[in-house]
Amino acid sequence: MAMKLLPWDYGVRNLFRRPSRSALTLGGLSIVVLLVLVVVAFIRGLEASLAATGQPNVVLVYALSSGADIENSAIPGRTPSLLAASVAGVRQQHGVKYVSPELYLGTRITVGENGSEGLGLVRGVTTSAPLVRQQVQILEGNWPAAGEVLVGRLAHSKLGCEKELLQPGQMIEFDGRQWKISGVFAAGGAAFESEVWAPLADLQSALKRQDLSLVAVGMDSSEAAADVDLFCRERIDLELKSVSETAYYADLQKHYRPVRMLGWVVVCLVAGSGVFAGLNTMYGAVVGRIRELATLQAIGYRRRAIMLTLIQEATLLACGGALVACILGLMFVNGAAVRFTMGAFMLRVDSVGIAIACGTAVILGVVGAIPPSAKAMRLPVVEAIKAI
Amino acid sequence: MSLVEVVDVSKEFKSGEETIRPLDGVHLTIEEGDFVSLMGASGSGKSTLLNLVAGIDEVNSGHIFVGDTDITELNRGKLADWRAANIGYVFQTHNLIPVLTAYENVELPLLLLPMTASERAKRVEIAMAAVDLTNRAGHYPRQMSGGQEQRVGIARAIVANPTVVVADEPTGSLDDDTTEQILSLLQRVNRELGMTLLMVTHDADAAQRATRQLRLERGQLVENGKPILPRALRTA
Repeated sequence: MAMKLLPWDYGVRNLFRRPSRSALTLGGLSIVVLLVLVVVAFIRGLEASLAATGQPNVVLVYALSSGADIENSAIPGRTPSLLAASVAGVRQQHGVKYVSPELYLGTRITVGENGSEGLGLVRGVTTSAPLVRQQVQILEGNWPAAGEVLVGRLAHSKLGCEKELLQPGQMIEFDGRQWKISGVFAAGGAAFESEVWAPLADLQSALKRQDLSLVAVGMDSSEAAADVDLFCRERIDLELKSVSETAYYADLQKHYRPVRMLGWVVVCLVAGSGVFAGLNTMYGAVVGRIRELATLQAIGYRRRAIMLTLIQEATLLACGGALVACILGLMFVNGAAVRFTMGAFMLRVDSVGIAIACGTAVILGVVGAIPPSAKAMRLPVVEAIKAI
Repeated sequence: MSLVEVVDVSKEFKSGEETIRPLDGVHLTIEEGDFVSLMGASGSGKSTLLNLVAGIDEVNSGHIFVGDTDITELNRGKLADWRAANIGYVFQTHNLIPVLTAYENVELPLLLLPMTASERAKRVEIAMAAVDLTNRAGHYPRQMSGGQEQRVGIARAIVANPTVVVADEPTGSLDDDTTEQILSLLQRVNRELGMTLLMVTHDADAAQRATRQLRLERGQLVENGKPILPRALRTA
């Protein structure tokens, strides 16, 4: 005879048998799953930000001596025109080459009337920047004119100020000059979203610099990047090096690997503590039902069928916790901005995060239910049937 | 062949250093349609014998045949399946499942057997009618009196038309009036439905309602003042 299971209703109704205990357990499991979701959202957001920033057809050209740090790079101001003239495979449209000269620096930025100050990232750009950085979209306002800046939608998070202080029309100050905000831009989750973009000429003038930090070059194909590399090797007088933007950010991701690993360790620790909470609850639930479980055995239900019902109860409760956690996560966690050295990124509650949260909940339910139900099933029926 | 045949069954327990042997080579035969009461002092082993016949405890030696099956040879899983089809158990403390209604409690054993939903419904209705609780079908155990709960317990025990109904002190937790109702009900189950019953009781009046009265004394079964002998010796 195949093993017959107890009615589904039996497991479901048992959850409402002690409503306060079930509610407390649900609350505890929701918190555990929410913590897991937050950590996964952090890791996913960081990964997505770095991945979105790198475009496969874009090559970054910067100073050979600067290592991997573009902020320390200084290259001659004539580099963009030389690149455009010398390198085949540079993308162009209507005669305009996709070559974006940029000056990039970290500096103190003052915002608001009370003059709160934060460390921000400023990029001097020309109108060719959006040609190369194609994920950039102006959400509000206009491209900056002289004396104006365009701010990324997460710049407020990087600067640690209110979002309202970085709306179009507001003033900010850096490098001894006042700048009017002309608009706000998004960049598909890329790290640029935490930057402040100023017209290159204005920024050079403010900084009294003629050089550039880098040139971003849009290529016809990723294979054409080799032409840029060849140019850098041949023009040793310019002391340049090139790297595809994807490779550059992939390299940066390596620096954040310990952070990501730590994140996964936290996920495991939080889930582990959740298992103990689940175990405790299920022990309580099973101890109070020893006689009932023995009665089911006396009637003819197999031990495995009864164990499956107990696991079903715990798993249902844990899935309820996952549902609550996912709703809270989507409402309050998803999209929340987090500052980091490269700027800011948004916590990301995506399908992977939800799948991990739900998977954690199922594991919590199953692992939390097995030991107490197995213990209850080990008791001889004749003893258990007399249990109080 | 008898419906139930207990052959030279012994059962012992460890209690610290001491070994207690409440059943010591017990023999018993129960014919189809018998209503057997089993009395004895506390700790004499009467509930142990009942649990062995019901297949929820294991013998140390001997055999128990129910119909053609030697249940001492069945493994745990097979024994559970066998109980589902052959045993109806009436508990002293009713042991209804609190989250299920009276109807669902009675239906519970039928879910283990191969039958259609309509056949199940028909059987549950007959069993509920037999214990006169049709109007309480949708009530939960907490909404019923002790007597009503025990009647539901009896309906649950008879619904699958088992080979044997075992009842362990079925009136032990009931008042006199309710005890009378339950004993009458068990008699009806035996006479009108032709079911075979084995009932453990402390109450001599309750035992008298059975068609056969047995006592357990010093590990042996006694009927009408004489020990029950093995079948071979009886026929000789």
